[in-house]
Amino acid sequence: MSIVLKTDNLSKSFGGVKAVHNANINVEERKLKAVIGPNGAGKTTFYNVLTGYFSATSGEVYFMDRNITKMPIHEIVKLGICRTFQINTLFIGATVFENVRIASQIKNGGSYKILSSRRSLKNVNDKTWATLDKVGLKDKAKSFANELSYGDQRSLEVGIALAGEPKILLLDEPTAGMSDGETKRIASLIRELTNDITVVLVEHDVELVMSISDSISVMNQGEIIAEGTPEEIRKNELVKKAYLGERKN
Amino acid sequence: MMSSISMDNSRLMPRAKLYKYIAWLLMFLVLILLPYFITNPFYQRLVTEILIYGLLAMSLDVILGYTGLLSFMHAAYMGIAAYTVGIFVVYVDAQASLWFTFLLGVTVVILIAWPVGWLQVRTGGFAFALLTIAFGMMYYTLVWKSRDITGGDDGLFGITRPTIAIGDWVLGSTSNPVDVYYFTLCVVAICFFLTKRIMQSPFGAVLESIRENEKRAAFIGVNVRRYKLQAWILACALAGVCGVLFTYLKGSVSPTMMDASAGGSVLMMTLLGGLGTLWGSFVGAGLFIFGQDYISTMTEHWMIFMGLAVMLLVIFMPAGAAGLVNRFITKSKD
Repeated sequence: MSIVLKTDNLSKSFGGVKAVHNANINVEERKLKAVIGPNGAGKTTFYNVLTGYFSATSGEVYFMDRNITKMPIHEIVKLGICRTFQINTLFIGATVFENVRIASQIKNGGSYKILSSRRSLKNVNDKTWATLDKVGLKDKAKSFANELSYGDQRSLEVGIALAGEPKILLLDEPTAGMSDGETKRIASLIRELTNDITVVLVEHDVELVMSISDSISVMNQGEIIAEGTPEEIRKNELVKKAYLGERKN
Repeated sequence: MMSSISMDNSRLMPRAKLYKYIAWLLMFLVLILLPYFITNPFYQRLVTEILIYGLLAMSLDVILGYTGLLSFMHAAYMGIAAYTVGIFVVYVDAQASLWFTFLLGVTVVILIAWPVGWLQVRTGGFAFALLTIAFGMMYYTLVWKSRDITGGDDGLFGITRPTIAIGDWVLGSTSNPVDVYYFTLCVVAICFFLTKRIMQSPFGAVLESIRENEKRAAFIGVNVRRYKLQAWILACALAGVCGVLFTYLKGSVSPTMMDASAGGSVLMMTLLGGLGTLWGSFVGAGLFIFGQDYISTMTEHWMIFMGLAVMLLVIFMPAGAAGLVNRFITKSKD
C-alpha cells in the first residue's frame, strides 16, 4: 500500500498556543482516513495547514513524496488535493450549476478562451452535470446557492470539491447539521468515492466514522494521540480517556 | 416544482429577449442620430464626455463589479494616458497619428499599472483600496509638481488634434465635435462589446468566482493574484483608452482630471449605474454628468447634492440604475 499524504511533525502555533503540535499522519491510497477528536482539538487547523491556507510553524507535508509545505493553495489544488469546509464556503450569489461548473473549468482548462461564452465548454458542462448528479443536486442546478437548504449547501460544498477531480479529497465535517437521510446519502457517497480516490474525513459523528473508515487518527489538544483501524482505536486506552471516555460520562 | 419554474422560463424568455433587442436597437438609433437632435456643440461635447466617462466607469466595473476590487483613483490611469499623449504631441511629434498615440497612451498605462497592480494584489481588500489612493495621489502630485513639462495646475495646452484616418482614407478631424462624437462612439462601442464578451467568457467566470468567494476560488485552484492582476491591467488599459479620447475631445489636459475628486466621481458613476452590468456604468456617467451640468446652473455646491443622491441610492437602490431595469425585466417575466 502506498502512502499518498503524510505529515512529518507538523506544527502550527498562534502566538503561544500550539493548535497543532508535532502531528504525524499517514494516508494510504484509496482508503478512507478519518481524523476525530473533541472540539478544539485542532482538526480544522490541521486541515488548514495541510492545504496551504495556514503556513506551518514547523514540520513538513508530503503528497506523493513531494514536499508541498510551502506551496501556494492553488498549486496544491492543482496536484489533486481538494477540500471542503466546516463552514459553508460557496459562491453564494451564483447558481448551483455555476458553483460546480467553475471548479470543473479550473480543473479542465479553458479559462483563457476570452472570446467564447462560458457555456461553450462542453466537456466542462458534461462533467458538471455528472458531478451534480453524484451529490444529488441535479434538480436544483438553476437555484442560487443562497436559496438552498442547509443540507443541500453541504452537498454543494462536496460537489465543488469533487468537480476539481481530486486525487485526495479532504472533507471537514461534511454531514454537520444534515438530516439523517442526507447523512446516509453523503456517507455512502464518501464510501463509494474510495473506489477511485483517497478520502480524509474530519468528523464529529463517531459512530459514522467507526462504521465507514479504514483508518482513524485521533487528535487531542493539537496532538495525534493514536492512529489505527477502527477496532484498534476502539480499544486504545489513551483514546478512551481523552475522547471516547468523555462521551460515556 | 423545479420543472414548472424552468418551463416558465423557457416560455417567457423569448419575450424578455425581444425587449432586450428592441432596447438595444433603439439605443443605437438614438446614439447614431444624436448629433442631428443635439446641434449645440457644447452639448455634443458633453455627450461625448459622457461616453468617455461611461467607458471609464465601465472599466472600473470590471474590477469592482466583476472581481470585487475597489479602486478609489481609477481616473488616475485615464490621466496617465492623457498626459502621455499630451506630452508626446506637444514636445515630440505634433503630427503624430491618432492610432500611434492610442498605442502609446495605452502601452504606458499598462507599463505603469502592471508593477503597481502586482504590488496591490498582494494585499487584502482594504489595503488594496488604500494603495489605489496612495498611488493615485502620487501620480497626481508628480503631474502637479512637474510644472516645466506638464504645465502644473494650469494644465497642458496646445495639443494638436490629429485627423481621423484609416491609411489615406480621411474620415474627419478630432477638432470637429460631430466627428469626435462618432469616433468616440465607435471606440467606446468596440471596447464595450469586447469587454462584455470577455466578462461573459470563462475568464469572466473566474473573476466572478473571486468576487463571490476569494477563499473558495483559491481552493478550486484559481491563482487569485494572477487573475486579479489581469483584471486590473484590463481595467487600467481601458482607462488609458479613455484618456486618449479625452485628450482629443478637450485639446488640453488638466490635473483635475486625475485628482481625488475625479477618482471619487468615477466611483459614483459606477455605483449610480449599478455593479456588474457594464452598461449600467454608461447610465451612471450620464446621470452624473448631466446632473452636474444641471445642478451647477443653480448652485456651485452641486457636489453636496450629488453626494446626497449617491448616498440615497446606495441605501435604497444598491443595484443602481441597472438594478432598476433588471427588476422591471424580471417583473415583466412573471
